[in-house]
Amino acid sequence: MTISIKGFDHGNRGAGIRNHQLILPTVVCSTHVSRRIATEVGAVTFAHQHGCGIIGDDVAGIDNFFVSLADHPNVASVLAVGLGCETIQSQELAAKLLSRNKSTQYRIIQESGGVEGTVAAGVKAAHELSNAFPSAPAAVAKLRVGLDLGREVDSAAALEQLLRDEGCEVVVAHSESSSAETFSKLSQENVHVIISFPSESQPASGFPLIPVINVASNGVLHQAIRGDFDTDESTLLSGIVTLLTEVAAGSETVAEKSKSGEIRAPRVVRSA
Amino acid sequence: MSSPLKAYKRANGAWGLRNQVLILPMHSALSSTARAIADNSDGAVAISHDWSGEKDNDLARIIFTLSGYASNPNIFATIFLSIGNPEEEQIIKGAQALGLTRFTNLLLPEIGSMEKLQQEAITLANEYVKEANAQERVDAPWSAIVLGLECGGSDALSGITANPALGVASDRLVELGASSVLGETTEILGAEHLLAARAIDPAVGKKIVEMVARYEDSINYEGIDIRGAQPSRGNIEGGLSTLEEKSLGAAKKAGNAPFTGTLEFGEIPKVAGLYFMDTPGHDIEQLAGFGAGHINVVVFTSGRGTPTGSAIMPTIKVSTNTPMYESIPDLIDLDAGTIADGIETLAQVGDRIFNEIVQVANGQLTKAERGGHHEFALSRMYKTVVK
Repeated sequence: MTISIKGFDHGNRGAGIRNHQLILPTVVCSTHVSRRIATEVGAVTFAHQHGCGIIGDDVAGIDNFFVSLADHPNVASVLAVGLGCETIQSQELAAKLLSRNKSTQYRIIQESGGVEGTVAAGVKAAHELSNAFPSAPAAVAKLRVGLDLGREVDSAAALEQLLRDEGCEVVVAHSESSSAETFSKLSQENVHVIISFPSESQPASGFPLIPVINVASNGVLHQAIRGDFDTDESTLLSGIVTLLTEVAAGSETVAEKSKSGEIRAPRVVRSA
Repeated sequence: MSSPLKAYKRANGAWGLRNQVLILPMHSALSSTARAIADNSDGAVAISHDWSGEKDNDLARIIFTLSGYASNPNIFATIFLSIGNPEEEQIIKGAQALGLTRFTNLLLPEIGSMEKLQQEAITLANEYVKEANAQERVDAPWSAIVLGLECGGSDALSGITANPALGVASDRLVELGASSVLGETTEILGAEHLLAARAIDPAVGKKIVEMVARYEDSINYEGIDIRGAQPSRGNIEGGLSTLEEKSLGAAKKAGNAPFTGTLEFGEIPKVAGLYFMDTPGHDIEQLAGFGAGHINVVVFTSGRGTPTGSAIMPTIKVSTNTPMYESIPDLIDLDAGTIADGIETLAQVGDRIFNEIVQVANGQLTKAERGGHHEFALSRMYKTVVK
């Protein structure tokens, strides 16, 4: 048996299981404007604290991280929003993205008349992108599943094998403390969907571009907030695979509904 | 004569220029919940961050940043959103030690789900907001003002117009008994000897020089020449040539008053005066340090323009040049470009900035407050080694 999913054609980035428009703030200063645009057009965005005052290896590191998010197969189109004077320049980032994905535009606060001007210009650009580049349906040839093992899970190896038997590619990550960092790493591996077994001391969490299926442990915290999880460890593996199939086909996870989860960008050096 | 200032008096004697109800998530997974609570409340504010309780090298810095921020005197009450980790207790105890008296810790596992947490917090936030709105400002002394001096997106006019004009206002406030804090270590690099020469005693001067050297050493350790990374591209496009030129201009925000002391990142000044605080040049991390250090009003000069604001500190933005002021009308409160155009003198613009600080201190909203700009960033060392 093989999981067969109808997704969205996202060109050379592959088929996605979501058809997200990403409003990508290229600097912390444009996160608020990005959120306003995203709320108005129903796109996804995220808050972060990077893009300026970064030095050394972090300049390329953050730039590559933003490119990888924009490149994700679950993303249909990208509107980069910059301030104008930051280290990561949105027009340069957009130029890089355009060579991979035609459905890319950018807007700059310092050149668009401030906040209200940029929100208006950004909303217009976001609509233009959706209209000009509608995503055709496409079969997802191979579902890429991220397995976040934040705790010891007895059935992990069996689940991994079952997913492979079902025709999925599996990327396993062992998170040390937080899911935010692991999800960010898994997103760079272009996984379509994540099954997360967070540590017993960590809550359920999501990620802006990727549906996350949270599996609760029997621990006190997880059982107290069982409703924040999609399922728990007592569920048979076949049940988890059924859930995965539903989510891949479009059913929203609990974290997607609550829009919970922040990104954690890779950083090595203090800010300048 | 009645006092020119009216503010909110806190139990520990500190003064608030605002009466905010802050929603503070203790975990990144609760950041979106915190924003949703603030958005759906009658005026509470929230910050969001990406800390998930990691116990790495930055843990202590994060704990005292959040303790200080949560207890800023501009806050009427803080609602903590917790998942039940011991570090959260430390943050709350720290905030209490720094003067926070009115707060509620909402524990996710006791409430049962993020959705219920959101509903419960909105109800509670609205009760606090109602109480906060009922509290009246009372006559306050000049020492009630603790001003933060910040610049970002500097250009060739920064050191000629907005920064020295802010220096005029800062000097006047310090003379009257208020406090003023210069931050951004990156941006005094190369000008530290001039600031040290203004210290009230040699020990304070030595400390200023040491703090700058400590910063440069930590960056050099990474094999990065900060003088190659600064000024930034945006600064160069704005006409700045070297880090030293940028620093000489940035330091002018602190006027000519003597330096009373130095502050570590997020440290609270104990007596009134002019201080230097060791913060990064990153505008938002630096604002978080100011918030943690109980600064209650900020003036932010900019050559390129910025939407930046804070959930708890009114942030007055001053443009260095008139074309920028006119091109982004909803971001900038005051224009200092008139000095370059010969329309006003430095003293006149200094007066306008002083008057604006007093009016904002008394409750007038800044453009960033009206626009709901509540940027926040945790300052981390990451893998940087500081000896």
